[in-house]
Amino acid sequence: MGLLAVGTPLDWPEAKKVAGHVRSWGIEQLLAIWRKAKGKERDALLWGDEIEYLVISFEDAGREVKLSLRQADILESLANDAELLRQGGGVPGLNVGEDQDGRPAPTFHPEFGRFMLEATPGAPWGIGFKDLLDVERDMKLRRKIAKDHMYANEFPITLTTFPLLGDRKSVTPFYPPSGPKLRSQFVPDEIANPHIRFPTLAANIRSRRGRKVELNVPVFRDKKTPRPFKDPTVDYDLHNWPEDDDVRNGAAKDDCIYMDAMAFGMGSCCLQITFQAKNIEEGRKMYDQLSPLGPILLALTAATPIYKGFLADTDVRWNQISRAVDDRTPEELGEKPLEHDRWRLPKSRYASNSTYISQDRRLRPEYLDPNLVVDEELKARLVDGGMDDLLASHFAHLFIRDPIVVFAEDLKELDLEKSDHFENLQSTNWQHMRFKPPPPGNDTGWRVEVRPMEIQITDFENAAFAVFVVLITRAILSFDLNFYLPIPRTTENMETAHRRDAVLNDKFYFRRNPLPPQQPKVNGTSSGTSTPQLQYSRPPTPTGPVEDEYELMTVDEIINGKLDDGFPGLIPLVESYLDSVNVDVETRCELAQYLELIKGRANGSLWTAAKWIRHYVAEHKKYKKDSVVTDGMVYDLVKAAERITVHEGRDGYAKEMLGKCRERA
Amino acid sequence: MKLILSTSNIMNGGSSIRRTPTQKSNTELVSSFRSNFAAHSHPANSHIDGETKQQARTSYKAWTHVADDGRQELEVPRLDFEHSALQEEREAYDITVKLFYLPGAPVENRTTQTREAVNLVLKELHMPSIDLLIISFPGIYFDEEEDCPDKLSTRGPVESSPEPAEAQIQTWKTLEALQQEGVVKKLGIAEFGHDRLAAFLDKTTTKPSVDQINLRDCCSVPKNLLTLAKSRNIELLVHNDSSNVLPRGTLRELLGPGDKGAGVLTEPTRTGDKRKSLHGEETKSNGHADAEGLKGEVQPLWVVKYTAVVKNRGVVENKGYFAVAELSG
Repeated sequence: MGLLAVGTPLDWPEAKKVAGHVRSWGIEQLLAIWRKAKGKERDALLWGDEIEYLVISFEDAGREVKLSLRQADILESLANDAELLRQGGGVPGLNVGEDQDGRPAPTFHPEFGRFMLEATPGAPWGIGFKDLLDVERDMKLRRKIAKDHMYANEFPITLTTFPLLGDRKSVTPFYPPSGPKLRSQFVPDEIANPHIRFPTLAANIRSRRGRKVELNVPVFRDKKTPRPFKDPTVDYDLHNWPEDDDVRNGAAKDDCIYMDAMAFGMGSCCLQITFQAKNIEEGRKMYDQLSPLGPILLALTAATPIYKGFLADTDVRWNQISRAVDDRTPEELGEKPLEHDRWRLPKSRYASNSTYISQDRRLRPEYLDPNLVVDEELKARLVDGGMDDLLASHFAHLFIRDPIVVFAEDLKELDLEKSDHFENLQSTNWQHMRFKPPPPGNDTGWRVEVRPMEIQITDFENAAFAVFVVLITRAILSFDLNFYLPIPRTTENMETAHRRDAVLNDKFYFRRNPLPPQQPKVNGTSSGTSTPQLQYSRPPTPTGPVEDEYELMTVDEIINGKLDDGFPGLIPLVESYLDSVNVDVETRCELAQYLELIKGRANGSLWTAAKWIRHYVAEHKKYKKDSVVTDGMVYDLVKAAERITVHEGRDGYAKEMLGKCRERA
Repeated sequence: MKLILSTSNIMNGGSSIRRTPTQKSNTELVSSFRSNFAAHSHPANSHIDGETKQQARTSYKAWTHVADDGRQELEVPRLDFEHSALQEEREAYDITVKLFYLPGAPVENRTTQTREAVNLVLKELHMPSIDLLIISFPGIYFDEEEDCPDKLSTRGPVESSPEPAEAQIQTWKTLEALQQEGVVKKLGIAEFGHDRLAAFLDKTTTKPSVDQINLRDCCSVPKNLLTLAKSRNIELLVHNDSSNVLPRGTLRELLGPGDKGAGVLTEPTRTGDKRKSLHGEETKSNGHADAEGLKGEVQPLWVVKYTAVVKNRGVVENKGYFAVAELSG
């Protein structure tokens, strides 16, 4: 998250009254940015990764592990670290120096959860292959610096979720649940970052919705799991807030683990990658081409099998975050006839994306989402302002939402040199890809953010997935690959990715042939396929039914390829790309380790963290085959995760997950 | 007669996609020549995948070209540099050229061959110079210390033993000249192990900047080579090419009659036809090309591979091959 403005936030429904105002100013700011930056050209590939940590606190004497709510103290300590500041690190706004290698030290950021920390490299990465090797070193440095600013019994761990979040006790310092902002019966208001933006966000989402957010995750049914399973931790007799009625009105579903607050979703850790494109066209192309890969990356990185002390029947965090910030009203959800609201909304504001935006001759109208909801008035304004229909539809789709957090001070004057109103909507649309216009006032170019991946336990794995995605983008651009798939299939794939071990057992819709068709060549035009003018003058590619373009494939087939003339596989595509560029021996060997990890995850020879954690629980001597993950088991599990973080399998532990990748190093 | 084969830009055609990790590494070269010849000889319908194999092929005379100034040169297909220019200015690119001297080609003509190869690439890319020229001598195979069965498949048929070091040094002088002229910034060699590299360094004035070795994932680089390279500031780069990229038989198959060939050459003997009909393959559609095809023995002389990468974006914009062979008899 970026720098956070301060002011007087409007409560709901006051914020609702100015929603139209914010949206229309946001659209004007967008137009101003777009006009200024649409001709930006030849920006270099720069990219960055974001690592999110849970700060956990061990109390070894009692074999307890808790979430530490000391984010603010830790950030303050980082911000006051003179040495870190001298090296250009610390917290944003304070970067001044460089370390001995000429790279600014990493920077740290607050996140939604008060138990979370986010760290990014001090400066963006390039495509120099040696840069790719620095990524993992930098990630390790970030973790070390973070750890150095914590108590000795604290540790920055990269599990997606804390398995005991919501047990009403495992936070330190302790606060009781059921506060005025979140009104959760499981977590205290103090679980959220105290910056006024966050409690307001949570409270206004709840108010807009008319009830608390509702997360029902199917429970994993083991031999002794009660049937039906009724979440035993739900308190039906609480009467502090009107929303305490939710559970009496059936909010907690049978056979599900029930959760009731934004923290259960936004308290999850993700691995996100942002790329700068050469220009707006390349950015739009990357946005489209990476979109169908999202569900595959999600399944490959699956790491979330436990919620609130129970084994879940799903492997990833995605839908839980989606529900944790789902501000749709009963009318928008289709539970009541439309009276006050403008439309039914098929997706939460946190969901897989619903648009393609590239002006690409390969984009067939059949790929677009037939259920796309667009604010036609705002779209007309964008089109009037000169924006093309596709891009205008994209933003007018994001702008169907209400702004959730509005500061009264910002509504006095429209500043076209700023992007605050635009960002208000843009940054609270959490889709699995994000298309980011250049921020006003600096030289950054058009960017694309890849958001579906789950954080991995080790820096090795996080570096592997980050670098893999970077290499995929280079292969897409170099080979002119085409992964277009109808958007509804990607939406379905996103659901499929949630299933237990989807990476091994399920199939995903994927384009059969990503390679460009052979162009006919008459004497006189032999080459020049990358020249834009020629591209447009080519005869249109003959098209068959869209349904013939894709098929169901396993993740193994998508990653490692099918035999014969089937899908070539993302790893072979990356390797073919690497064969076409000059890479030195040392770099190639390190990259090979990263690619080995991903190959192994896809073909099942290496386990996902989700599988490893499930196995750990199943084998734990205290586990009673009833889906319950006790405090003691979680203590052991988090200790194990710490050990894996430190040793990365070199001590022979967790080889099922990491393999021998690190042994040669 | 001299034959000049070209692929034009292969990045957008899928020929350079490695299907399996162990596939023969001249597959890219062979399949990109083949698909370029097919695209020229089946102009009307080659873009409808898989549906066109039965279509009659245009005579090679329609899409190849004989230089009309009396040089005995056949371009397969006709060379055309009009649309092949790189998009950005020279500084934006890292241009690497790798020249394979092939077994059996006369060593004394290397100066001409090298200049010819580099010039073709410069013309194709519309650039005044290249960054790195790597040369690959015939018969040299980098031997790693560890066993590595995967690697053997990338060697290609061994048709020759290494030439004497003096011949290599002699060739190197041509490269030094190109560097002095500013046409090439850096020079490199391929497949040199420690001993060969040490000996080479002793006898040359301009040292190579790069030693490119064929390294499979499972193998490690010998320590002594690493140390030597580091101490002499030589970068060890990885490649996946076979040293013998274009064996004679492969070239004949590419240019010959039959389903996989371009119909430029006829079979050397009539027995070839008999063999085909035994397999029940239809050769009549190629009969026309067959009858007018050129006769004689082909001797591949050299292959050049070029790659232009946009430096600050890591995007490969253009990659392709030229090959030159002598047709005699």
